[in-house]
Amino acid sequence: MPEKSIRDMNALEQKHNSLSAKTFHAVLLITVILGLTAIVFGFSLYYTAIRSQYTNKAADLSKTISSLLDADEIGSYTDRVMGVFESLPEEKRANPESAEYNVRFGGIEDAKYRRIQLFLQKVLSSNGASSIYIGVADPEATHFVYVFGTNRFSTYRHPGYWTPIDSETKSAFEKLQTLSPLESMIPVIIDRSEAGEYMCTGTETLYGSDGSPIGNIVVKISVSEAARLGRRFLWQYCLILLAAALILDFFMVRHLKRKVVKPINDLAGAAAEYVADKRSGLGSDCHFDHLSIRTGDEIENLALVMTGMEQDLNDYIENLTAATAERERIGTELALATRIQADMLPSVYPAFPDRPEFDIYATMTPAKEVGGDFYDYYLIDEDHLGLVMADVSGKGVPAALFMMVSKILLKTAAMAGLSPREILERVNEQICANNREEMFVTVWMGILEISTGRITAASAGHEYPVLMQPGGRFELVRDRHGFVLGGMSGMKYREYELQLDPGAKLFVYTDGVPEATDAQGGLFGTERMLGALNRIPGGTPEEILRMVSRHVKAFSGEAPQFDDLTMLCLHYIGPASQKEANTVKELTVEAIVENIAPVTAFVDEQLEALNCPFKAKTQIDVAIDELFSNISYYAYRPDTGPATVRVEVQKDPMAVIITFIDHGVPYDPLAREDPDVTLSAEERAVGGLGIFLVKKTMDDIRYEYRDGQNILTIVKHI
Amino acid sequence: MTIEKTINGTALTVAVAGRLDTTTAPELDASLKASLDGVTDLTLDIHALEYISSAGLRVLLSSQKTMNRQGVMRVSGANETILDIFEVTGFSEILTLV
Repeated sequence: MPEKSIRDMNALEQKHNSLSAKTFHAVLLITVILGLTAIVFGFSLYYTAIRSQYTNKAADLSKTISSLLDADEIGSYTDRVMGVFESLPEEKRANPESAEYNVRFGGIEDAKYRRIQLFLQKVLSSNGASSIYIGVADPEATHFVYVFGTNRFSTYRHPGYWTPIDSETKSAFEKLQTLSPLESMIPVIIDRSEAGEYMCTGTETLYGSDGSPIGNIVVKISVSEAARLGRRFLWQYCLILLAAALILDFFMVRHLKRKVVKPINDLAGAAAEYVADKRSGLGSDCHFDHLSIRTGDEIENLALVMTGMEQDLNDYIENLTAATAERERIGTELALATRIQADMLPSVYPAFPDRPEFDIYATMTPAKEVGGDFYDYYLIDEDHLGLVMADVSGKGVPAALFMMVSKILLKTAAMAGLSPREILERVNEQICANNREEMFVTVWMGILEISTGRITAASAGHEYPVLMQPGGRFELVRDRHGFVLGGMSGMKYREYELQLDPGAKLFVYTDGVPEATDAQGGLFGTERMLGALNRIPGGTPEEILRMVSRHVKAFSGEAPQFDDLTMLCLHYIGPASQKEANTVKELTVEAIVENIAPVTAFVDEQLEALNCPFKAKTQIDVAIDELFSNISYYAYRPDTGPATVRVEVQKDPMAVIITFIDHGVPYDPLAREDPDVTLSAEERAVGGLGIFLVKKTMDDIRYEYRDGQNILTIVKHI
Repeated sequence: MTIEKTINGTALTVAVAGRLDTTTAPELDASLKASLDGVTDLTLDIHALEYISSAGLRVLLSSQKTMNRQGVMRVSGANETILDIFEVTGFSEILTLV
C-alpha cells in the first residue's frame, strides 16, 4: 500500500502504482518462482536419471568384459607381469616411462595378448568409454600396475607400466573392499577427475577358475557430455521461461487495461464531470448511462450502480430544490406576517402631534419571526386614551394570530366605552368561547382621563406597571392581578386608579424585559429595569425606552433573545385647558455672552409678575446664565447667530417653562455625563458643572433637535 | 458685581457683591490672580453675593487650588441659594465655609 494518496503523486509515481504495473510485477514474480521451482525439480530428476544410466553402463561394461574374457588366460599374463614387477628392486621401478624399465617386460606381448588388447579396444570404442584397464593394485591401493589397458586417446600402456591410483579409482577400490566377494554389485563412483572431467569409474575383481583373485578391471566413462547437455538445458529453460513470462505479462496487462483500468478510468472521469456539471449548473443529467461498460463482472455492476445513483441524486436534487423553494416561500410569508403584525402596532411618532397634554412612545422587538407580545393605544374619545400592554402565551405564528384577535377584541370593547374591568371581562368571555387551542393572554389595560391625569386600570395577570410622579423616581405599582384572558370563563377583574400629576410618567412592559437572560442564564430582573429607568427620569418616553433597551442588550450580551421585548412609556404633560391659558413671551437676540443680562432681565420681568420666590428666581437666573452662555460659546462657533428664549407660564400647578432655541450645530447637552462631585479640588475638572447645576435645580429638562433647531426646555415649579 | 479688597500683611479679604456669572467671573478671576502673590490667608466674603453660576464656581475652584499650595482660603457669608449650589456640586466639601 502506498502511504501517499494518489492525488499527491506525480505522473511517474501514479504510473508506478497503477493496476497495470502491479499486475506486471505480480505476474513476473509468480512466473519466476514457478519456473525456479520447476528447474530445481527437473534438474534433480535429470541428475538422478543420468547418474543411474552411467552407473549401470559402467557396471555393465565391467561385467561384460569379465564374462567374455578367459580369467585363467588373463591370470597367466597377470602372473607374468607381476612376477617381473615384484622381482625388480624399488629403485628400478621408479620410472615406468624409461626404456630400461620397459625392456624388463619384453616378450609378454604375444599374439594372444594383442588379441585381448584389440578386444578391449573394440569394447571401448563401441561403448563410448573413456578407458578400460586390467591390472593389479598394491594392497595399500597407492599405485596400479597395468597388464592390459586402452583409452579413447589410444595412449598405449605396455604391460608392467604403473601409475599412482587416481582419487576416483581409489574410492571405487575402497568401496569394493567393503563388499563381500559373493555380492554381485559393481561399485561405481562418479567424481571429478584430476584432469577436471566428470568421470564415472566402475571396477570389478577378476577371479580365476580356482576362485583366487587375479586382478581388477577398471572402466571409466566420461560424464562431461551429459553435464554439458544439462547446463545447456538449464540456460535454454531459463531464457524460454523469461520470454514466456514477459509475453504472458504483456497479454495480462493488455487484458487488464481493457477490461478493468479503462472502465474504472471512464467511471472516474464521468464522476468528475458529473461533479463539475452540478457545480456549474450546466451539462447533461446523464453521465454514466452512455459509458456502455459491458464487462459482465463487478465493474459492470459498479457502472450500473453509479447510473442508478446518478438518477437518484438527480431526483434528490430536484426534490431538495422544491423543498428549498417551499421553505423560501414560507420564509417570505413569515417575513410578511412579521410586517403585518408590526403594522398592526401603532408606530408613527409623534403619535398624537395635536395633543400636547401627553407624549407616548412604544416599541416591540420580537424574539422569533413573529411574536405574541403587543401594545396598543388609541383615543377612545377626546378626553380618554386607551393603553394596552399584553403578552400572548407561546411563540410564532399561532401566538401572532391569537394576538391579532385579542388586540381587535380589546379595542372594540374599549371603543364601546366600557371601563377596563368590563373590557377584560367581556374579552375573556369572547376568547373562552372559542379557544380549543387553550391559548391565553396577559393584559394590562388602562384608560387615561386626559383632563385630570387619572388612569383607570385593570390587570389580567400582567406585570406590575411602573409609575414616576413628577420629581420622584420610577417605582413599581403593585396592582391586583386578575386571571389571564382565555384561561377560564366567568372570571371577574378588579379595577384601580392611578393619579398622574403633570410631568408624571408611566412605564408598562412585558415579561421579556425583566426576564431577559445573560449568557449564564441570570435574569435582568425588575431591579435592573428600575435602575435603567431612573438613569434618566427626565428623558422623553423615547429616550427612556432606548435606555432600558440598551441596558437589556448590554446585560444579555451574546445570549440569544428568548422573549419579545415590548415596552410602552406615557408622559403625562398636563391638561390642555390650562396650557391654552398659558402666557407665552418670546425674545430673540444674537447669541453672545453680552446678551445674557438682557435675556435674564426679560425672564425676570415675567417672574416678577408671578411673585416668584427669590430662591427659584435665582436658580432660574443661574440656569439662563449656564444655557445661554453655552449657546453663545458653542452653537455658531466661530461665528454668531440668533437665539430665541421663550417663557411660558403654567398655572395649576404653577410652573415656568423656558425654551432656548438656536439653529447652530446639533448638540445635546443632556447626553454629557454628570461630573463626579465627590472628587477633591485638585482632581476636579472644570467642565460639565453648568448643565449639572441646571439638572439639579430645575424640575425637568428636555432636549430635542427638530427642523434644524436645538430646542432645550427647562421646567421650574414655583 | 463689585469687588472690594482689604490687605492686612499676608492676609487678603475680598468682598464680592452682586452676581457672579459668565460675564462677571472673568473679572474676579483676573482680580484674584493679580493679588494672590504672597498671600497666605485668603477670605472671600460673599454675604452680598446674590448668586453664582458654574463660571463663578470655576474661579473659586482655581483660587482654592492656588491657596492649597500657599496657605488657607475661607469663604464666608454664603446665602441659602449659594449654599444649595455648593451642596449639589460637591463644592461644600472642597471649600472652607465660615
